[in-house]
Amino acid sequence: MLVEIPEAQAVTEGRPARPSVTARLRGWLPPLAYLAPALLFLYLWTYRPLGQTFQLSFFNWNLLPTSPMTPAGTDNYTRVLGLPELGQAVWNTVVYILALLPFTVLIPAAVALLARRLPGRSRTLYQALIFAPTLVTPVAAAAVWRWLLDPSSGPVNKALTALGAEPLNFLRDPDVAIGAIILISGWSLLGFATLVISAGLAGINDDYPAAASLDGASRWQITRLITLPLLSPTVLFLVLTTTLLSVQITFPLIDILTQGGPDGATTNVYYLLWQYGFRNFDAGFAGAAGTVFFVGFGLVAALFVWLSNKLSFYDN
Amino acid sequence: MPLAVLAAPEPVADEPTQGPPPAEPGQKPVGENTRRRSVAGHVVLAVLALFAIFPIYWMYATSVRAPEDVLDTSPLPWPLSFASYEYVWQVLPIGKLLVNTFVVAVCTSIAQLLVALLAAYAFAAWQFRGRGLLYLAVVGAWLVPFQVTMIPNYAFLNELGLLNALAGVVVPTVCSTMAVMLLRQHIQAFPRELLDAARMDGRTSWGTLWTVLVPNLRPALASLSILLFISAWNDYFWPALVLQRTDSVLQIGIRGFLSAEGDNWGAVMAASGIACLPIFVLYLVLQRQVMDAFVRSGLR
Repeated sequence: MLVEIPEAQAVTEGRPARPSVTARLRGWLPPLAYLAPALLFLYLWTYRPLGQTFQLSFFNWNLLPTSPMTPAGTDNYTRVLGLPELGQAVWNTVVYILALLPFTVLIPAAVALLARRLPGRSRTLYQALIFAPTLVTPVAAAAVWRWLLDPSSGPVNKALTALGAEPLNFLRDPDVAIGAIILISGWSLLGFATLVISAGLAGINDDYPAAASLDGASRWQITRLITLPLLSPTVLFLVLTTTLLSVQITFPLIDILTQGGPDGATTNVYYLLWQYGFRNFDAGFAGAAGTVFFVGFGLVAALFVWLSNKLSFYDN
Repeated sequence: MPLAVLAAPEPVADEPTQGPPPAEPGQKPVGENTRRRSVAGHVVLAVLALFAIFPIYWMYATSVRAPEDVLDTSPLPWPLSFASYEYVWQVLPIGKLLVNTFVVAVCTSIAQLLVALLAAYAFAAWQFRGRGLLYLAVVGAWLVPFQVTMIPNYAFLNELGLLNALAGVVVPTVCSTMAVMLLRQHIQAFPRELLDAARMDGRTSWGTLWTVLVPNLRPALASLSILLFISAWNDYFWPALVLQRTDSVLQIGIRGFLSAEGDNWGAVMAASGIACLPIFVLYLVLQRQVMDAFVRSGLR
């Protein structure tokens, strides 16, 4: 803007419509110079490797710089889609997303609505406490929960035994392990989501509920018909983030606590990718899997953006 | 749209979640109903706060129990003992891990802040052809997951000789999409008259950035740098990919310790407690700013 504005005015005043090439270059140069570092790093570490992943998917390569890449056609894709573990990993990914939504949307929305009615001081205290797990580093979170859920002497199992229930081997039992990973991820996300929804609520114009209340609307009607629709952009943002990031959020916990086991019960699509890439040194396979999952998530994201444009209710 | 109100830069003191409670229009001033609702609110929030805080409390409680009491489930650790910390100090190069993690987090957050500030300035203060497309390229990077690009990145780091080097953790993360998006919002909301006035004074765009924009964006920059520092401190993916040695950063050192020490819970909890401590201290001192920073990152 610092450079462009006089030129833009000149154009509207009816001078020759296109400024000369040098003038245009001069307009381009400063912003591009400021953008250069960001674009360079994005190219080097995001977009070029993305292209390379796509390229790798048509080769066989064991990650050693000295060994040759051999063309593989579409074999890698056939192998990915025919992989026996794939079904389980995709299913688990869906389970992770759906099971984390209560922790990132439902409970936070309920909590934020309840917290509104409390005096500011106690509300701040509760929020500060609920937020704290967000700050725990993933490795420490994994360590603490492994101790809490320890089958022989962990406090959770001691409590279960005291209540007369059978102790559970949470992280080794294929029926419970995925639930344990979900619980730990939910624990670390809950406070953040609550904070975001509270901020969304605080941004809603008070005039609308006040007007509705004068017209005789009940409290529940106000929440359902006014507050929640106005909150929908925030909620949709959280749903989208949960969908796209739950695979990544659960990744460190899976890596440290279960390595995808027992028997694939806690693996997800990216953990599968990690294992094939770095355990089996199969870059072509990982490339094909990466391409498939990336396109899959991209389609889901596009669907979401389309849906959120249809469903969001804005206070214009 | 409600989000725009929150996303606009405002002094940190005006943090939206901490203000006085919004007027409750439907609420009759006194009444049994209101009190019952407020009690229900307290109960639900207290239960959730307990669920959130108990694991953290238990981590520190276990870490200060005497070695023979580690499996104890009494809620208060007594007598206190720092034997676990002494053991961790001897077994793990904890000082080196802390220093390395700190160096990585500081370098990462400063580099991210600088690169994002320049990029956001370009996006917010100039009109140029292809701006929308380039901005889309920056935002789109958010959709490219780490795991999809990790193998080419691993090979590239190897070519550069950065595997097992701390720089290998910093360099790939220098461009932070989130930082660019947040700073762009802040600069867009900055009064244009001030930028124009600086230009008429004959200042260069570079001079305007550092003498007009940066001093005025200080609260936003501070809150963003807190967020970037915490994210860098807690990052798991890049260290796990780049660093194999267990004396590199906390994430990797403690992961190794966890698999080596297994059920030595006192020591494992002490090590984990040390890894979280700097962030918790930051949180205790700058609680408002930390929460504010996270809220802003969540409202895009």
